[in-house]
Amino acid sequence: MKTSFIVSAVALSFIGLAFVHSAGSYWGAVHYADSSPFIVKQAIYMAVSIGIALVIMKSPLTSSPKTWTFVYWVTILLLVAVLIPGIGAVRNGSQSWIALGPFSIQPAEFVKVALIGKLACSMNKIHGKGIFRFGHFGLILLPAALIMLQPDLGSAVIMIVSAFVILFIAGYPLKFFAFLGFAGIGAFVALIAAAPYRLDRIKSYIDPWSDPLGKGFQGIQSLFAIAPGGLVGHGYGNSRQKYLYLPEPQNDFIFSIIAEESGFIGATLVLLLFAVLLASTFGIAIRTKGRHAFLMVAGMGSMIIFQTFLNVGVVSGLLPVTGVTLPFISYGGSSLMTTWIAAGTIMHFTVGRKSS
Amino acid sequence: MQSKKRLRAVFVIFLICLGMVVAKLFHVQIIKHELLKERAEANWDREIPFGGVRGDIVDRNGGLIVGNRLAPTLYFMPSQNHEIKSSAMAMASILGVNAADLEKKMSEKAYMVKLAPEGKNITKEQADEIALLQIDGLYTGVDFARHYPNGELLSRLVGFTGYDGNGLAGIEYAYDEILQGTGDKIRLYTDAKGIPLPHVDDGFKTGAKGANVELTIDLRMQEIVEREMLQAMEKYDATQALAIVMNPKTGELLSIASAPTFHPAEYQNVDPSIYNRNLPVWMTFEPGSTFKILTLAAGLEEKVIDLHKEHFYDPGYSMVGKARLRCWKREGHKDQTFLEVVENSCNPGFVEIGQRLGPEKLSKYIKDFGFGESTGSGIAGESKGILFSEKNFGPVEQATTAFGQGISVTPIQQVQAVAAAINGGYLYRPYIVKEITDDKGKTLQSFSPEMQRRVISEETSKQVREALESVVANGSGRNAFTDGLRVGGKTGTAQKVVDGVYKDGDYIVSFIGFAPADDPELLVYIAIDSPKNSIQFGGVIAAPIVGRIIEEIAPLAGITGREGQIEKEYRWGDPITHRVPDLTGMTKGKIASQLYTYRIEWHGSGEQVKYQLPLAETLITVDDVIHVYTE
Repeated sequence: MKTSFIVSAVALSFIGLAFVHSAGSYWGAVHYADSSPFIVKQAIYMAVSIGIALVIMKSPLTSSPKTWTFVYWVTILLLVAVLIPGIGAVRNGSQSWIALGPFSIQPAEFVKVALIGKLACSMNKIHGKGIFRFGHFGLILLPAALIMLQPDLGSAVIMIVSAFVILFIAGYPLKFFAFLGFAGIGAFVALIAAAPYRLDRIKSYIDPWSDPLGKGFQGIQSLFAIAPGGLVGHGYGNSRQKYLYLPEPQNDFIFSIIAEESGFIGATLVLLLFAVLLASTFGIAIRTKGRHAFLMVAGMGSMIIFQTFLNVGVVSGLLPVTGVTLPFISYGGSSLMTTWIAAGTIMHFTVGRKSS
Repeated sequence: MQSKKRLRAVFVIFLICLGMVVAKLFHVQIIKHELLKERAEANWDREIPFGGVRGDIVDRNGGLIVGNRLAPTLYFMPSQNHEIKSSAMAMASILGVNAADLEKKMSEKAYMVKLAPEGKNITKEQADEIALLQIDGLYTGVDFARHYPNGELLSRLVGFTGYDGNGLAGIEYAYDEILQGTGDKIRLYTDAKGIPLPHVDDGFKTGAKGANVELTIDLRMQEIVEREMLQAMEKYDATQALAIVMNPKTGELLSIASAPTFHPAEYQNVDPSIYNRNLPVWMTFEPGSTFKILTLAAGLEEKVIDLHKEHFYDPGYSMVGKARLRCWKREGHKDQTFLEVVENSCNPGFVEIGQRLGPEKLSKYIKDFGFGESTGSGIAGESKGILFSEKNFGPVEQATTAFGQGISVTPIQQVQAVAAAINGGYLYRPYIVKEITDDKGKTLQSFSPEMQRRVISEETSKQVREALESVVANGSGRNAFTDGLRVGGKTGTAQKVVDGVYKDGDYIVSFIGFAPADDPELLVYIAIDSPKNSIQFGGVIAAPIVGRIIEEIAPLAGITGREGQIEKEYRWGDPITHRVPDLTGMTKGKIASQLYTYRIEWHGSGEQVKYQLPLAETLITVDDVIHVYTE
């Protein structure tokens, strides 16, 4: 389990490195001509991230609930800080970034991991009928609200879904999820009724061709990459859409370029690697000792896979456009580091099992 | 236990989610692959179109009537140039256009701008000069403009092309689809902003030249016909004129002309009524006496008259019911044979023929000769003309129709009908396009003579030819006489009808002539609208033109001197002519003793004549010069 987890995670990271290079070199040369190429930066981020993951894996602190409480509140503080003008920077209409010298960090990325850790720890002792606590929702809604103030819908959705997966696995009553489902549909209808423009968004999701240069633009450009790729793709480096047709191809839409250059076969293999990662994570979870370890590993795995699904779903046109990165693969320090922190945590509990 | 179960449920749900993505990828990459690929390619297209080469229009011998000349067009990609203002200024001075307008066009937010009209169809010199400026983002597309090596010749038949190279009038319009070519294209490999990518495959799409249209026209004949027609226009200060030359045995139109002419490249400068109307097919007017040929043919075919044995007395008019129809000669032609009726173009005589035929037969022949409906020549803008309806075809209408009044026909109908009357009775459809070939000369479509029906017998046709040769030798068509070519023909003079009333003093004078009369190869028709400075008679104005045209084009049609012509009857005022005697072999003394009226000019020092000009048997006037050459 541990081996297959590490192999798939490392393999995905190297695939990421290769495609950040292929997809991003032209975009980088045009838009960031005076900074070092994406692949160099991404290699550095990867080395740092894996280093941090190894520390987390080895450190006894990872098992301690106190650590997670501390981390949780630090990230909440960062989420507040990012909203303060002068500290937070706006990119693409969202105030999500804090600049630290030459680098910038995205607190919303880290809070996802922090919440999962904190939530898992807080459920360590409770089971059965009395599991329901308002405090759990407080822990979830506080960062969610702060993230929506930026706003960053993608991160908020990933965080909330991962948290609910933990609640589900932990044994929250099914009635609760049924109620949540109805409430969700009700809220959806109410939101559309309140602001009919949202209906247009849904329309453009259903038929992106209705507004190919506006709302449907990214979705269509993504399809223009994927579809011509066909079964085997154009070959590595031969993407056509990376030449500024698809915005930021090294980032949220990197999977389009993978599908374009390596075809249906290549794209499916990448998804298969994610499936292996999922299976081994859950396998690790089942073998953990201690309820909080179990919940934490399952939560971290769910977060990675749900984010993957959200990303490739958007890229392939299955889901409406939401800006989220592809774990391990997309360019970006915060994203990569978060993913590897989650991976480090998962691996930590394999170490624990062996030693005990 | 419960937690592990739920974990498995989550696992399955996630696998389903990833499976859905795989299914979606399959749908997009495999099932909708072709469709989306096409759309994506359209999205990548950055093509510089080259102008299509339009097919040539050539005459029956392959002589170029309309061709193409290189006239490049400029294209510009705004994103590739950072100094648009200075580039525009530099280009504007070479192109002679306003720099501000050009700059505005070059600053458009588009991947590629066609610099038109400023940079459309510029000269090669301008293109070379601009190329030296090395302007970023400027591309010179190969483009073509129509080239007219013969200037205004045939302009009203061939028409012209518009701004985008589409045919707008004439043959260019009628055969637009055939003539149109598809242009070459260079496909540039660029990024989304139009910046060329250095390393990859720029594609080249080869276009195809349009098909060539070969006309039945003979350019050499056309030049002669137009020259004669334009001279007449000037001499008589006419408002317009038209001419047709047709091979009566096939219906091929060898020449077709309208005046005034215009230059196809400058069609904007003339009135649409000039470039839209191809007079020989568009114009309808009272044919006048040329129509009598058909009444004559009908009368002979039905054997209601005998040209030589039967006599007719013309008192100067003819009474039809209560109407008195005048002969053009006020005092009348008195007693004549029917051949003389034809020679004199005597109206009452033709009223008589019409009456003997009766209304049914007369209208049957008129219809059989092709009147009342378009000939289907394939020339754009053809009219049908107007005949009397059966209901209105009373005795007076019948009588006037018999000598060509009260009806309205097109020149091409007239030519089609007369061709049938003289070629043995076969009605051939006139046609203008001989062949359509691709740019390698391969025939795509060819047109051959189309015989529609037989109207009269060879025997009748022969009589018609003889009568008409006699008209030229002895009658109203004398001015068309051309020695040795056996020209036959008929004059026509018709008062113009404006808004349903005859317009006083304005005539259309015409002549239809053919040669040789024993076996016609050429049929020539000319009509001149409102000639001034002269008596307005077809015999005076139109006949000599036709005579000259036939004389000049006969060698081109391979017609040489014929035996057995009807000699021209001498009339007072005609120059006295003689046939040149054969002087070869004669000595100086012998010639002097003959007391010739001609001036003899000697060349050479010998005694005996070796050669002479003009040759023996040539018709010359009595005081002409004969050059003789000795050893």
